[in-house]
Amino acid sequence: MNEKTRTRVGGPEDPRKGLEAVVALRRTLEALEAAQVENAFMAGWSWARIAEVLGVSKQAVHKKHAGRIRAKYPGRPPGRKGRER
Amino acid sequence: MMFTRFTDRSRKSVEAALEEARMLGHDSLGDEDLLLGILRVDEGLAAEALASLGVTLEDAREESEEMLSEALSSIGISLEEVRREAGDAFEMRIPEGRRIPFSPRAKKALVEARRRMRRMGDNHFGTEHVLLGILHTEDGAAVSMLARMGIAPETLEERLFELRGRAAS
Repeated sequence: MNEKTRTRVGGPEDPRKGLEAVVALRRTLEALEAAQVENAFMAGWSWARIAEVLGVSKQAVHKKHAGRIRAKYPGRPPGRKGRER
Repeated sequence: MMFTRFTDRSRKSVEAALEEARMLGHDSLGDEDLLLGILRVDEGLAAEALASLGVTLEDAREESEEMLSEALSSIGISLEEVRREAGDAFEMRIPEGRRIPFSPRAKKALVEARRRMRRMGDNHFGTEHVLLGILHTEDGAAVSMLARMGIAPETLEERLFELRGRAAS
């Protein structure tokens, strides 16, 4: 039964490889989220709008990303010009 | 982490490991990061043994990135495409404010290192003990990484003891 399940999910047969893929994906997901939040912010999106699309609270997005992005662009005013709401 | 009896070098190498982990986007400090830390500090018996077998920091970092990329490929994801899609803002680096804990394997490696130190009758905790701990960590990522670079753990261990013997005489 085990054999079959593994084949069906199409993942690597080796459990270790499968678990390592999870770790790699988690790390990549974190980096991708950071990048896309930064992209949206620099494109003038508000924290509220970013949070809405991500499906989380504004506080959560702000807490996780604001410090990093502000530190990366010191002196530059937050890209809020194109704010739509 | 237990930092007692660390030599300056081994303490520095653990700090460097943390920096390597952060740079590579490792959300916990793994046994392979301990290896990268030793290479980064580039002092002491362990670094000497690694260098004599042609292991460089740059190669080791590359292997680490390659291993991540291959793990993603195994589930049909191309890191290159993710990178391209996200643009210049994409970086694996962990932001400064986020804490990076030791992974269970890194802890095991350090515990093993301490055991080896005692068995060898040493009372300083040097980079050579850290390296031995890493090499004897079951299922360790550092050992896989070294294998990919064509280095067998036994060869490295042998070289380490050779250099140690030479230093002692």
